[in-house]
Amino acid sequence: MTARTNPGAAAEASGDEKSGQPAGRAAPSRGRFVGTGNGPKLQPIDIGHPDYVAIIDPDTAFWALVRREKLADILSGGDLTRVYYKKAGKFADEINLLRFGLKPSAVYFNPTGRCNLNCSYCYIPEEIRRAGPHMPHERLIEALGILKDYFRTTVPKGSLPQIIFHGAEPLLNREAVFAGIAAYSADFRFGVQTNATLLDDAAIAFLRDHDVSIGISLDAATPAVADRTRMTWEGLGVYDRVIDAMDRLRGYPAWSVISTMSSENLRHLPKLAAFLHAREVPTCLINILRCTLPASRRVKPDDATAAKYFLKTLDHTRELYEQTGRKLVVGNFANILLAIVAPAARRLMCDISPCGGGRCFFAVGPDGDMFPCSEFIGLEKFRGGNLFRDQIPDVLQSEPFRLVTGRKVEDVEPCNRCAIRHYCGSPCPAEAHEMNGGMHATGAFCEFYEEQVRYAFRVIADERLDDYLWDDWDAGMRDTFQFG
Amino acid sequence: MKKTTEKKKDVIAYRKSCKAKGTGLSHYILMDKKAKKS
Repeated sequence: MTARTNPGAAAEASGDEKSGQPAGRAAPSRGRFVGTGNGPKLQPIDIGHPDYVAIIDPDTAFWALVRREKLADILSGGDLTRVYYKKAGKFADEINLLRFGLKPSAVYFNPTGRCNLNCSYCYIPEEIRRAGPHMPHERLIEALGILKDYFRTTVPKGSLPQIIFHGAEPLLNREAVFAGIAAYSADFRFGVQTNATLLDDAAIAFLRDHDVSIGISLDAATPAVADRTRMTWEGLGVYDRVIDAMDRLRGYPAWSVISTMSSENLRHLPKLAAFLHAREVPTCLINILRCTLPASRRVKPDDATAAKYFLKTLDHTRELYEQTGRKLVVGNFANILLAIVAPAARRLMCDISPCGGGRCFFAVGPDGDMFPCSEFIGLEKFRGGNLFRDQIPDVLQSEPFRLVTGRKVEDVEPCNRCAIRHYCGSPCPAEAHEMNGGMHATGAFCEFYEEQVRYAFRVIADERLDDYLWDDWDAGMRDTFQFG
Repeated sequence: MKKTTEKKKDVIAYRKSCKAKGTGLSHYILMDKKAKKS
């Protein structure tokens, strides 16, 4: 647990609200002035909008958009800073809970080490994907039993923990996976992330019958591009097989498509968005590739080009919505919007630090070995223990896990002085460690995330938030700040 | 879709809150509102 880093943020939680004087603090500052003493630490940020700039408190993730010509007045004091000052402690608590107070509620479960594909950017080492073990049927059932018992201690009654069968290709061990789902369907929410090449009619029927969420992978709208990065060991593309599976999934509400942005498909992403929208894909993720292993760095785009085409793609999803009244939600961007307007509502935990690996979820390999995240599978240094031999709470406190759960933006340069550090999170620790030399380094991208957050603020400034989020995104939420 | 506003506000600032349920990593997202289980 880290201490609050913004002195003013403690005002409401522990101070005298009338005077604004934080209790028990030696510094006799009432927090009246922005940027000095105990005053709010609000950094002005250009968001590339003609009318507005942002002011952000990096520690609490508080933000406001201010008309450019009003910025000096706002920072010179007045109602906004006064009202925020009273709320800052609560906002700091909210962010600290999100960063340090959550308990595990999900497992990324690799039931096999093997894959029938050899995608160019895969983060699992080739020797494992070629000849890794399958988890035997009985062992998988045993593993789910252990996890069920464990989650009774971390997940509140009324909620179900999540098990995502992940890869490698989980359907290579289909019999064991389906037996596990059938045996524990009342105890977990299940999902399968698959390359879709083995999703035959029987598999889809089983998964639908058991309300299993299905994620499939596709990188482009045409085989000429999609097959550049996703192919069999013999180098044959699988585009046609994925499209076939997509056709058969149409109408099922709980499926999604994941696309990986690389130098190979970047320029074609807007066309991919149109393609997914036309096929009524409910949700997609368009993720920048991870550069954990050297092979993936061969298709790494530069930040500026990645941002350019990703933002073009987001523009296009909005245009499609305007034309048809139907949205294609880009889940990873939706998560950035949520991180800004409703921090506790974010679902993906890559864009906060510490990331979700090893604290909100962990990964289990086909031999029961436990890692903070799938991204670390195959990196022996990050093996924290074994599900069948060790106690899960002990593994979560192991040194390999603490390496990940202890990685904070405050310890990473330049994140420690970056205003958007709690909207970005400096992903990913696996990249930082393997590519850039350690946990105190950034991951593979930075400016890409800057541009993404700036775009998100422009969306908010233009009051287009709803265009990018799923319907009823704020159902059940309460307003904690409203100004202007 | 875009709301029509007569005059742009001087300040836009809001924040919402809920119980934190973040669990996912970026490879997969469970965001289906129609799922039968909660």
